Amino acid sequence: MHDAPVISVAALTKRFGGDDGVLAVDDLTFGVAAGQVCGMLGPNGAGKTTTLRVLLGLVRPTSGRASLFGTRITPSAPVLARVGTVIEQAAFVPYLSGMRNLKLWWEAAGTDWPPPGLDRALDIAGLGPAIDRKVKTYSLGMHQRLGVARALLGNPEVLVLDEPTVGLDPQEMRSIRRMLKDMGGSGVTVLLSSHLLTEVEEVCSYVVVMDRGRLIAEGTVEELTSEGARTAYVEVDNVDAARRVLAGLQGVRSVTDSAPGLAVDLDGVPRARMVAALVNAGVGVETVMQRHRLEDAFVGLVGEETMRQ
Amino acid sequence: MTAIPVFRTEMSKQVRRPRTYVALGIMVVLPVIMTIAVRFGERAQRAEVESLFSLARQSGFVMPAAALLFMSRFLLVVVVAIFAGDAVAGEATWGTLRYTLVRPIGRARLLAGKLAMALVFVVMATLLIVVTGLVAGGLAFGWHRVDIDFGSFFSLHKSSGELLSDLAVASAYVAWGMTSVVAVALMVSTMTDSSNGAIGAGIGLFTTSEILNAIPQLGAIRTGLPTHYLDDWQRLITRNESATDLWHGVLIQLPYLAVFLGIAFWWFKRKDVLS
Repeated sequence: MHDAPVISVAALTKRFGGDDGVLAVDDLTFGVAAGQVCGMLGPNGAGKTTTLRVLLGLVRPTSGRASLFGTRITPSAPVLARVGTVIEQAAFVPYLSGMRNLKLWWEAAGTDWPPPGLDRALDIAGLGPAIDRKVKTYSLGMHQRLGVARALLGNPEVLVLDEPTVGLDPQEMRSIRRMLKDMGGSGVTVLLSSHLLTEVEEVCSYVVVMDRGRLIAEGTVEELTSEGARTAYVEVDNVDAARRVLAGLQGVRSVTDSAPGLAVDLDGVPRARMVAALVNAGVGVETVMQRHRLEDAFVGLVGEETMRQ
Repeated sequence: MTAIPVFRTEMSKQVRRPRTYVALGIMVVLPVIMTIAVRFGERAQRAEVESLFSLARQSGFVMPAAALLFMSRFLLVVVVAIFAGDAVAGEATWGTLRYTLVRPIGRARLLAGKLAMALVFVVMATLLIVVTGLVAGGLAFGWHRVDIDFGSFFSLHKSSGELLSDLAVASAYVAWGMTSVVAVALMVSTMTDSSNGAIGAGIGLFTTSEILNAIPQLGAIRTGLPTHYLDDWQRLITRNESATDLWHGVLIQLPYLAVFLGIAFWWFKRKDVLS
């Protein structure tokens, strides 16, 4: 990163419940530069949401610090006015309309209605006349879209989003992702926690990977996936025979099941040589693909075992 | 920045909430039912002549006092506990508390705004009982002075103006007497995501105080209970006592307010918001 980070987390530790309590975040350090769209990945219980809550002043760190624009975050710190957020599920007062919810939320801080980003926020929410309906009649997707609209009301300079596309249909997801990309392009700094690796891969320029409260990797998507570039995925007509052939091929480091095919760690072995070996052994090769997706990198980083837990 | 925008927002939420009208509606309906019962029910026996319900037939100005006495022993407490107990925990249940805090709104300011809202509803609920009782009582028994003489046993002479003044003092006194319920319900509301728990704490404080107050063996300890002096205002009307005799009941709320509200603000400012 070249710029001073807009979001900065330094040696952050959060333990719930005293010295013997649960260690949710452990000595975490990372930064997000201005205009960067940073993805936060990690299995359940990795400490992502706790980190985001510390960044939003909802949870006090046990030690270390979280800062926005160089200002240390404390509960309800004024700098949070520059932040828009959807954290876990978007939540609203159920017996009020969508518009009334937005209005009361905005006015509670003593600011005049309408806010500067209202039109754009309503456009992105795309709720139409339903904006005047009671929120308790909304679907989960409508809740989330209204949540994104609320996050955008104040034309925020930073967006902190925790699973913002939960409950959205594919079209709505695409719309939100496009919006996030555009925001990054227009200088807004985005920190996005998501279980959807394809979403992070599509939207984010930088990725932070957490596991058991600790930072285990960070870098651009390209940097994180380059490690997986040596892995090939093959689909064959006889998996058992192929596994035997590939296990005996010089230079192949590992062969693992990746149904319906096999993931082969080639470690420099040309794919053509691998295919030739299979064909010469009488194994029909149906598909050969280079694997370098973020999902592979993520699984490799946190381990299959952790993912299953 | 002050807590006024938060207070306005809280009031705006409450006036649009159906539950508010149910709660306040009870404060209207019951005094009407009580008035009908007194108007058409059996007359009190001589031994009960000093009770407000017995005197209620004498003037429409006494009926609201009788309703206030009856309601302040339970239903008013429930309504007060609902508004205070739900203030923070209700938002935590909905998940809106985190969004309100990151607006950002200072935690002390948010709690102060919610406290002010709860206090307004204490006053509104109390006034609704009194005003409804006044209208219903007047229609049933007329609005006029009270003149009762039972020789040396009991006598009461009050003009309409004096009765109205007594009602105003009684309303303020009862509303103030509910503030310890507000304080404890709000305190628990900052500590839990369950509105019912916080509401129960408010009602629990009142009920426990009433039970302990009914045990004579506790002696002087009872004078420290928040409800010990709660009904003292009756004597304004039934015994011609002065409002200055009520200062014990006013002062006894203060330590409860200081402790419960002090803990509420201290806790809420330090709390990790996980809801």
